[in-house]
Amino acid sequence: MSNEMKNMMVMICRIFLGFMFIYASLDKIANPEEFAKQIGYYKVLPFGIENILGIILPWTELIVGVCLIAGLLVDGAALLSIIMMLVFILAISQAMLRGIDITCGCFKVSADSDKLGLDTIIRDIIFFVMSMIVLNRQERKFEFLPKSD
Amino acid sequence: MLRVPLNQILVIIVLSLVVGFFVNIIRSDSIPLLAKEMSITKNLDEISGEPVAISLLQAKTLFDKGVVFVDARGEEYFADGHIQNSWNSGFFMELMFKLDSAQTKSGLVVLYCGEDECGSSEELADDLYNEGFSKLFVFKGGWQEWNEAGYPVE
Repeated sequence: MSNEMKNMMVMICRIFLGFMFIYASLDKIANPEEFAKQIGYYKVLPFGIENILGIILPWTELIVGVCLIAGLLVDGAALLSIIMMLVFILAISQAMLRGIDITCGCFKVSADSDKLGLDTIIRDIIFFVMSMIVLNRQERKFEFLPKSD
Repeated sequence: MLRVPLNQILVIIVLSLVVGFFVNIIRSDSIPLLAKEMSITKNLDEISGEPVAISLLQAKTLFDKGVVFVDARGEEYFADGHIQNSWNSGFFMELMFKLDSAQTKSGLVVLYCGEDECGSSEELADDLYNEGFSKLFVFKGGWQEWNEAGYPVE
């Protein structure tokens, strides 16, 4: 694959992931209590700390999304995206294995959002791979902090 | 070779912490830092509002009174065995319609799932509460505790 093609693929991944994270964060920022409850339904966190995660995580998603699109701290944003995807995949998998039949809380926190399923795991694996492509890029194009090569 | 940009990660996380906590402080619907666990109610007759948790004995009392029980687990678990006469939650809108037709929104409903550490019954209770149902009980011991107690199943 030529360098131009690779750069193009990185840009597509950056923009797609960026908008995806921004979209995913908006409903959670608007409804922190519902999002925190949604985290609680997974039954993986102790001592009620789902509220702390419910307060911080949507903003992390929003900032990661903006960074990926705007070309700011792209390495950090891509690695955080990888870490988030790994955590989401583990959380969803354990819930499914334990027969917990809940909605995902991935993009929306309302009752009509997606139920947990194999499709949600596959979707997160695709996002994980896209994040790896961004982190593993050879050239820095359209990046402003730190500056492009 | 993969980059490990720890300083950049730190910047993003600190920014998220600062903005997240600041916005939570100034917003009108701010939430406490730690979530409260749903506590078991003492009096079944004084329920009107947010869903409350109930014990096995309280669940049996409501069962004997003929209160509607809704199983919040997936269909395959429901098919393997469930509390006698309980309904499978299925699609949310369908359940709402069924509950609304069978009784009013202030009718009693008990929700349960597999065991204490499953969140499906709590989620379903919160969703029904948001739709106007006001007398919702979450039987946290769920199918496991009920079945072990030897109470009616099918």
